[in-house]
Amino acid sequence: MKIGFIGLGLMGRPMALNLARAGHELHLWARRPASLEPFAEVHAHAHISAAEVARHARIVFTMVADAPDVAQVTLGEGGIAEGAGQGTIIVDMSTIAPAAARDISLRLLARGIEFLDAPVSGGEVGAINAALTIMVGGKASVFEEIRPLFEKLGKSATLIGDSGAGQVAKACNQILTGVGVAAVAEAFTFARKSGVDPAKVREALLGGFAYSKILENHGQRMLDRNFKPGFKSWMHQKDLRIVMEEAHGLGLMLPSAAATAQMLNAMAGSGLGEEDSIAMLKLLERMSGQE
Amino acid sequence: MRLGFIGLGAMGQPMARQLLSAGHQLALWARRPDSLRPLLDQGARAYPSPSELARNAEVVFTMVTASDDVAALALGPDGLIHGAAPGSIHVDMSTIAPQVARRIAGRLAEKDIAMLDAPVSGGVAAAEKATLAIMVGGAAATLERVRPLLETLGKTIVHVGGHGAGQVAKACNQMVMVAAIEACAEAMRLAAASGVDPERVRTAMLGGAAGSVVLEVFGGRMAARDFQAGVEARLHHKDFAIMMQEAYRLGCPLPVAGQVWQQLNALMGHGWGGQDSVSLLKVLEVANG
Repeated sequence: MKIGFIGLGLMGRPMALNLARAGHELHLWARRPASLEPFAEVHAHAHISAAEVARHARIVFTMVADAPDVAQVTLGEGGIAEGAGQGTIIVDMSTIAPAAARDISLRLLARGIEFLDAPVSGGEVGAINAALTIMVGGKASVFEEIRPLFEKLGKSATLIGDSGAGQVAKACNQILTGVGVAAVAEAFTFARKSGVDPAKVREALLGGFAYSKILENHGQRMLDRNFKPGFKSWMHQKDLRIVMEEAHGLGLMLPSAAATAQMLNAMAGSGLGEEDSIAMLKLLERMSGQE
Repeated sequence: MRLGFIGLGAMGQPMARQLLSAGHQLALWARRPDSLRPLLDQGARAYPSPSELARNAEVVFTMVTASDDVAALALGPDGLIHGAAPGSIHVDMSTIAPQVARRIAGRLAEKDIAMLDAPVSGGVAAAEKATLAIMVGGAAATLERVRPLLETLGKTIVHVGGHGAGQVAKACNQMVMVAAIEACAEAMRLAAASGVDPERVRTAMLGGAAGSVVLEVFGGRMAARDFQAGVEARLHHKDFAIMMQEAYRLGCPLPVAGQVWQQLNALMGHGWGGQDSVSLLKVLEVANG
């Protein structure tokens, strides 16, 4: 099948490669030509614009940074909509605000283009190993058509609801992971300052009700002081900004997410933005003079 | 002097009246023409668009709700920029995002129109008594040209810095004030939950180091359970979105403001946005009261 893919960054590159390895013909466009280099070995064509990609592929995936980028690449000048025919399907796997996803979906639908919001969880490792969790919003019939492709990218793809519902699920995911990382970092800082070995605490807790993947995986990386991303904290900061703006609009009190969002602001402001969100441990240590 | 005024809401109405009473010619434009009536009766003139208004004014004041409103008034298809003469001045007294204020100032400067961001503090009462605190961002020379006009509106006029600096000061003002209202509400709740008369606690505190204008004014309304709006809570809620967006952009942690924002979200969720921010007390009472 001919498949378009736009957004060949940390996440997009391995995802597109997985589709190519599954035997699909890729049609690509990238702002920076260097992003196309890893595709020299697979069946892929480079194009001069997103519109041109859409002229060659009925299904186009996008994986970019934020809502304005998705709007630009779909509806902007030289965007997918310019080259799309009737029945084109855009599958946006970026993390953006639910309201933005609904808006883009409506504007595309007016031009006869189907849209799924399909953000993912699982990070770069999940993308490389085709083990992503995919949360989808949009029409069931469109979801069913794309499902076989989702299966090449992830281990689960769930239709959550209508347009925007995938982004709502992703926002929920980011609340849980953001607050979860903060909780583990706080517990470890607390243990250490109390003169107790955080590694022993982690080991004991893994057997109980406080078990979580975050305690297991992120916790281990905190103990190893391995702050390489993973998932860069500035991206988590962006995702929680989306959550907090939605909460503002909904008149919803989210105190724990709000506290975590402020810690992520502090990370961005003190040079930890390019490190993994688990560098929250370093932030907590600094703020209490525990470094 | 030939002045223009746009935004005749609860704040704008008395402010425009002060300028008129000081003997200036006043050009008006409003989305809802009925808001013009009281001022037209006092000699102001209405114009069909912001650009037409700007053609007839040396200094134009705006006092509206949101960043988008100011941007549309200044730069939109019928905006001030299309009518204002080179050398004229736009004084925006609305509370908007510093970034938007800077952007508008930049666009107006291309046409040699000067801009000041000059948000105010003090609420309707201060607008009526011409005792507003005015926080000004922009060129000092521009401020000096309009200072006599601002002096008819307020009693404290501070030049904070360049474009956007007035809005930064206003964001700081809102953060400190609403956080204080929340602290006041929590104190009132703690007193009541302890079986102690909140009003007596307040009276005792007013004489000590915790005494403040907020404790006096907002605390007083809490004690009297008067939730009628001085300033509607939804406006404070809006201000918090601006401030928290700036905090995000700057990577600046505001842990307490982040929590106060959540309390305001809860207040909005209850549908109390049209009441005064002293309704933060009621949010606490939902969980314990």
